[in-house]
Amino acid sequence: MKRRRKPLTWDKISFFAVFLGLPLAIYLLFVIWPFVQAFGYSLTDWSGFSPTQNFIGLQNYTKIFTDDIFMKAMGNNVLLVICLPIITIILSLILASLVTVGGSSKGQIKGLRNSSFYRVVSFFPYTIPAIAIGIMWGQIYDPSGGLLNGLLRGAGLNQFKDFAWLGDKNTAMVATMFVIVWGFVGFYMVLFVAGIKGIPAELFEAARIDGAGRFRTAVSITIPLIRDNIQTAYIYMGILALDAFVYMAALNSGGGPDNSTLVMSQQLFFTAFSKGQFGLASAMGVVLALATLIFSGLVFVVNRLTGGDKDVSL
Amino acid sequence: MNVQHQSVGRRGFLRGALAAAVLVPLGGSLASCAGSGSSSNAGPTGAVSDTNPFGMADKATVDAVIFKGGYGIDYVDFAGKVLEKNHSGSTAKISPSTDIAQELQPRFVGGNPPDLIDNSGAKAIGFSTILAQLEDLTSVVEAKNLEGKVIKDTLYTGVLAPGTFDGKLAALNYVLTVYAMWYSDSLLKANGWSVPKTWDEMYALGEQAKAKGKYLFVWGKEAATYYQEMAIASAIKEGGDDVRLGLENLKADCWSHPAIQSVFTALEKIVKAGYFKPGGSGTQFTAAQAQWTNTQEAVFYPSGSWIENEMKDQTKAGFNMTGAPVPSVTASPKKPYTSLHSAAGEPYVVPSQGKNVAGGKELLRVMLSKDAATNFAKTKLAPTIVKDTVPADGFGSTALVSQTKLLSDAGENIYTWNFIDLYGTNKDQLVVWNTFLDGKSDVATLTSDLQKISDKVRNDSSVKKIEVK
Repeated sequence: MKRRRKPLTWDKISFFAVFLGLPLAIYLLFVIWPFVQAFGYSLTDWSGFSPTQNFIGLQNYTKIFTDDIFMKAMGNNVLLVICLPIITIILSLILASLVTVGGSSKGQIKGLRNSSFYRVVSFFPYTIPAIAIGIMWGQIYDPSGGLLNGLLRGAGLNQFKDFAWLGDKNTAMVATMFVIVWGFVGFYMVLFVAGIKGIPAELFEAARIDGAGRFRTAVSITIPLIRDNIQTAYIYMGILALDAFVYMAALNSGGGPDNSTLVMSQQLFFTAFSKGQFGLASAMGVVLALATLIFSGLVFVVNRLTGGDKDVSL
Repeated sequence: MNVQHQSVGRRGFLRGALAAAVLVPLGGSLASCAGSGSSSNAGPTGAVSDTNPFGMADKATVDAVIFKGGYGIDYVDFAGKVLEKNHSGSTAKISPSTDIAQELQPRFVGGNPPDLIDNSGAKAIGFSTILAQLEDLTSVVEAKNLEGKVIKDTLYTGVLAPGTFDGKLAALNYVLTVYAMWYSDSLLKANGWSVPKTWDEMYALGEQAKAKGKYLFVWGKEAATYYQEMAIASAIKEGGDDVRLGLENLKADCWSHPAIQSVFTALEKIVKAGYFKPGGSGTQFTAAQAQWTNTQEAVFYPSGSWIENEMKDQTKAGFNMTGAPVPSVTASPKKPYTSLHSAAGEPYVVPSQGKNVAGGKELLRVMLSKDAATNFAKTKLAPTIVKDTVPADGFGSTALVSQTKLLSDAGENIYTWNFIDLYGTNKDQLVVWNTFLDGKSDVATLTSDLQKISDKVRNDSSVKKIEVK
C-alpha cells in the first residue's frame, strides 16, 4: 500500500524555509564555503596580498610533510591530544565522584561535606578567559619574580632559584599542559556531576549493599553509565588540544625552547602573517582539519570497539 | 544540558566537513577563480607645480593607515593638518592599526589599498610579498621639501638602504634607530667602571660586576635575538662588509665566518661564566628589561634606541640611559670602533593601486619637512631620518643626546642588514638563541642551527631572494 504524500501547505513551506533552508544556507556560506576556499588556496602559491596566484598542485603538502618544524609542531599536538583529555577527564571524574557519591559510607548516598562549595570553587578557572589564564600563569612561572619559584624557595628548595619553567625544554610542555588542565577540570567536573546526578541513587545503594567499595563503584557503575558524557568530553578536549593556540601563544609566543610547545595552529599563523605564504598556511589548515576529523573518527571507533554501543543508558 | 545540544551540532559539522572533502576538486577550481579582477588606477591628477610636485588632485582625500605602536599616530596627524592647510579642501584621513598585515590584506587583494601605509610592528606585511605592488619613492626624495630644499640632501647617510629592494626605493623608513649597547651612566660612574671596548674587557668587567652582585646582561624570551643583533654588529665591525654580504645573501657557511665565530666564542665564554642572568628563556622581555632599568641586576642591554621610550615608566630615577658602540673582538677591527649599526625603521610605503598615489607621496613629503620632523623628535624623543632636528640638550633626554653623538662619531661608517626581516626568520632564530644564552648549547650548535635556518630559506624556491651587493 502506498502512502499518499500530504500536499505542501504554506505553513509547511515556511517552516522548512525558516528551520531548514536558512540554517543550511548560513552553514554552507560560513562553514563549508571557507573550507572549500582554503583547500583551493592550499593548491596555490598565494602570498596573501596579490590578487592572483599560481596553481602549484600538491607542492605545499609535500613541503609541509618534509618541514621539520611543522612535523615537530604536529608531534606536539599529538602529545597534547594523548595527554590532555586523559589527564583532564580522570581528574574531573575523580572530583565529580567525590562531590556526588564519595561521602560517608553510611546512610544516604551523598558527596563529601561542603561538596557544593568545592563544586563552585573548582568551576572558577573556567570563567576566566583563556588569554587571561595564559598571562596570569606566565607571571606565576616567571623565573625571578614568579609565585611558583617564590613558594618553592620558601619551602627551602633553593635549586629553583631563577628556574625557567617555560624556558626549559624538559618542563615547558608539562607546565603548559598543567595550565590547560587547571582551566578545564572544573568545567568537566560539572559536566560529569550532571551525568552522575542522572543515575538513580538506588543503583549506588545496591552496589554498596553488594559490598562494592568507592573505587569499584566508580569503575563499574559510574563510568559505564556516563559513558556518553565522557566521550563528548574526550572529543571536546581533543579538539582543544589540536588547537591550543591561545594558551601556547600566551605562555610561549615563539614556540618555546627548542620549539617544544609549538603547535600547528601557531605555525600556521606565522607562515601566513609573518612569512606571507598564505598558500602554504592554507595547506596547514587543511592538514589540521583532517587531523581533527581523524581524531574524532578514532574516538568513535574506539568507543564502539570497547562496547560503547551496547545500550546501558537508563 | 547545553553540551548535549552542541554535541549534535559538532557531529553535523563533521559530516559536513567530510562532505566538503568530497566536493574539494570542484571547490578548488572555483576558489582559484575567486579574488581576481584587479584594476590599476592612479586616480585623478592635478597640475604639477613646486608646491604640488606630484600633481595631487584638488579637494582629494589622502587615506593613510599608520601602525600604532610606541610612536603613536599623532605625528602623522600633525603632518596631515599641514597638508590640509597647504591644499585647502583636501582632507587627510589618518587611521591607526596595530595589525597591518591582517587588516590590509583584503584591501590589497581587492585592489583598493590605502594611499600611505606605515608597514611596521610585529604584524607588518613581509616586503617580498608586496614589493611589486609598491610605488618607487625616488620621486619623493628628489622633490623639494616645504622649505625648498631637496629632501635627499637633508637626510642622514645610508637611511634609504633599508627600504631599497633590488634597486627600487619601495619604502621610506622614517624613524632613525640606533642599535647600541645601553647602560646606566650613573651606575658605571658610581662603581668606577668604564665601557668595555673589546670582548676581553667585557669578560673582565663581568668579574667585577659579579663581585658587586650584578650580572653583565639580562635577556627575555621574546628578545633573545637582541644578542644576535649585537653579535652580528660586532662581527661586521671585526670582519667588514664581507660578513654582512655573506649573511644577507644567505651564503653557505656564512655563519662560520671567522669574525662571527670569534664573537660567538667570546659570548659563549661570558654565558658559561654565568654573567648572564639565568632564567631569561622563561622571562617575558619587558620584565627582563625592567631587571636592567629598575632593579639594576644587569649592567648592559643591547637594543635599538626605542628602549628609552619603551621602558620610560619602569626606569629608575637618575638612570641616565646612555648608549655605546658594541664591543669588537680585537683592538683594531676592520671598521673603526665607533662604526654603528643604525637603520631607519617605520617603513612608509605607497601602494601603486591606491586611489590617490600623489596624495600619499605628498603626505610623506610634508612629514619629511623640517617642522614635522622636529615635532617628531621633540614628542617621541627619537630622531627621524631628517638631519639636524635635535638640539644639543636632546629635549632633556640623555639617550637622545647619546644617539646624536653615536651617529656623528660614526660618520659614514653606518651599516645595517635586512635578511632577518625580509625572510621572516626571527622567530626560528629566537629558539636557537634562547637555548644558547641559557648555556644549553655551544658555538658549534649555535652556528649549525643558524646556518640551517639560512639554508632553508636559500633552498626554498618559492621564496623570492633579493641580492644585496
